[in-house]
Amino acid sequence: MINCPSCGAALPVRGFGVPYTTCHHCQALILRQGQSVEMVGKVAVVPDDISPVQIGTRFRLGAEDFVAAGRVRWAWSGGSWNEWLLFSAAGRSHWLGEAMGMYMLTAECPDALVDPQVVRFAQGADLAVGQTISSGTTRFAVTDIKRAECLGGEGDLPFPAHSGRTMTNVDLRGPSGEALSLQRDAEGTSAWLGTWHELADLNPSSLRELEGWSLPSGFPGARA
Amino acid sequence: MKRVGSRARTIECPACGGTLEVRAAGWSVSLACRYCGSIVDVSRPEVQIITAYKRAEASFALELGARGELFGQEWQVIGALKRRDALYRWQEFLLFNPYLGYRWLVVCDGEWQFGTMLLDRPAEVKKGVSWRGTVYRRQGQPQTTQTEFVIGEFYWRVARGDKAEASQFERGDEVLSQELVDGEETWTQLVPVDGDDIQATFAPNRRRQPRAKKPQGALSFKSDYGRERDDLPMMFAAAFGAAIMTLLAMVLIAGPVERASTQISAPYLTTLEGHKVGTLTVRRPWQFIRVRAQGAYFDNHWVDLDYSLVDQATGQSIDSYGLVERYSGRDSDGPWTEGDRRADTLVGRVPAGTYDLYVNAQAHSWPVDAPPPSTDAWADAATIDVAIEAETGALPWGNWFTLVVLLFTVPCVITWNRWKHHFS
Repeated sequence: MINCPSCGAALPVRGFGVPYTTCHHCQALILRQGQSVEMVGKVAVVPDDISPVQIGTRFRLGAEDFVAAGRVRWAWSGGSWNEWLLFSAAGRSHWLGEAMGMYMLTAECPDALVDPQVVRFAQGADLAVGQTISSGTTRFAVTDIKRAECLGGEGDLPFPAHSGRTMTNVDLRGPSGEALSLQRDAEGTSAWLGTWHELADLNPSSLRELEGWSLPSGFPGARA
Repeated sequence: MKRVGSRARTIECPACGGTLEVRAAGWSVSLACRYCGSIVDVSRPEVQIITAYKRAEASFALELGARGELFGQEWQVIGALKRRDALYRWQEFLLFNPYLGYRWLVVCDGEWQFGTMLLDRPAEVKKGVSWRGTVYRRQGQPQTTQTEFVIGEFYWRVARGDKAEASQFERGDEVLSQELVDGEETWTQLVPVDGDDIQATFAPNRRRQPRAKKPQGALSFKSDYGRERDDLPMMFAAAFGAAIMTLLAMVLIAGPVERASTQISAPYLTTLEGHKVGTLTVRRPWQFIRVRAQGAYFDNHWVDLDYSLVDQATGQSIDSYGLVERYSGRDSDGPWTEGDRRADTLVGRVPAGTYDLYVNAQAHSWPVDAPPPSTDAWADAATIDVAIEAETGALPWGNWFTLVVLLFTVPCVITWNRWKHHFS
């Protein structure tokens, strides 16, 4: 257990080795380095939404277990969406994108960063819708480019989720529905590869309780 | 740490001030006001108006917020659209459950379908597409569809007039629907659902479902896409012949005319129940009965009229619905008026027999029912007077003109396209 350097509240240590965490009492953004904790700013409260996921929600896909440790809310000209930071039991980090009631579970995909067009994108050049890039043996076509702005964050985070922080997100599609996204921000460019799922496919537990709704059949913990 | 979700967020419509629920807060991008139809951006905490309208289209088959169970799961209606293509009009309802995401209910000609968006794209094969090992055959040519009205909330930027290129692929009674908007495609699987199930679970407004208005004869041209080029003169001849034959048949079938009339005073917020208009006798095996309602002068009000034709012999009733309405106001474009104080309702295929016609009536004021705006002199009137006249032997002129338009649409479009290509 550590204490918030700003308000003194006890903060859970989830031990996933990401540098930033937020205080759910005073919204302090805290940088953790070994035993030292330092307040580096404030995060905006994530606007209340209908998401059934919360920090601590567990998922299982195939033989792999995941737990939600943090979230960032991004907005773009066409709306806003949540990116949940998940950690697998093996300690790898994943992003779970939540949009249109569907979920894209992604893992980092450094292979995609070696394509020459992605290298130029990482240096600041633009990509265009329809352009193709290759990652390993798969060819991906750009379907969507968004300029996104951070609306707030909570929990553990790999970067400081100040509101107003911006990134460029490029979505690409593979021939069999594989989804690749490239994210470029002030600190660099990363590539994430994943697939779309419905929430039930991810075998979620410890979901948030939503007033007026009961867990549907097929979810762990649902009333028969 | 357990957080219990807050109640549905409410916002105030920036156009009309109505209180609106946001049921999928954070996921919904646009919301069309159920009172005034204005479209509002709800994607950010600060609500912004996108397009202002004066009046919402209220007559949807399902109510916003209605909940029901389909295939063992609970769903809530959060959005409703009226859409059309060259031949059909239909309604679509966006269903929501925060744990399950979104689904669709589509109703056309009284037939209901339940839609699920596909996460995996079907592959193109000869004459159709293949999805999860099954081939679906293409039905007709791609159609341009247009959104006419929207109310409720949606996870995309919705607007009246939105266009999409739609194609359908069928296997038995299951349909895969492809829609293309600005090069982005979505696929939806549609399966039939029993209208009685919908009735039982969502308690829809049955009288407001789009009815099968179009004669089946015209639709046979639709399934013949691809053969139009050779069949054009035949199509014109068949269209002309069918129009004349139908007109003759209508005149022959219409039969003798009988009339009944009455005057009613429709009260506000309570229903005038079971007022008898009169007795009518249908002497042919079946006839059309037309019911005309004419409201006295009123403004910014409407009157719902529910008619029941009760067979004296069997006690069975045939129900239908009329609406007299008038609205006006002033905006930046100057004064405007909408609606009609007269309403014609045509009841088709009334079998031979003697009928008592009853009417239930209820008046409403616009934009809100209570309290009535005190500045409006007409709002203080306790009732609205409506004259009602019914007659047997009516001719369904509206249907006939629709038939003529439908019969000639396809050959005229083909002629136009050929003419265009000839000179380009």
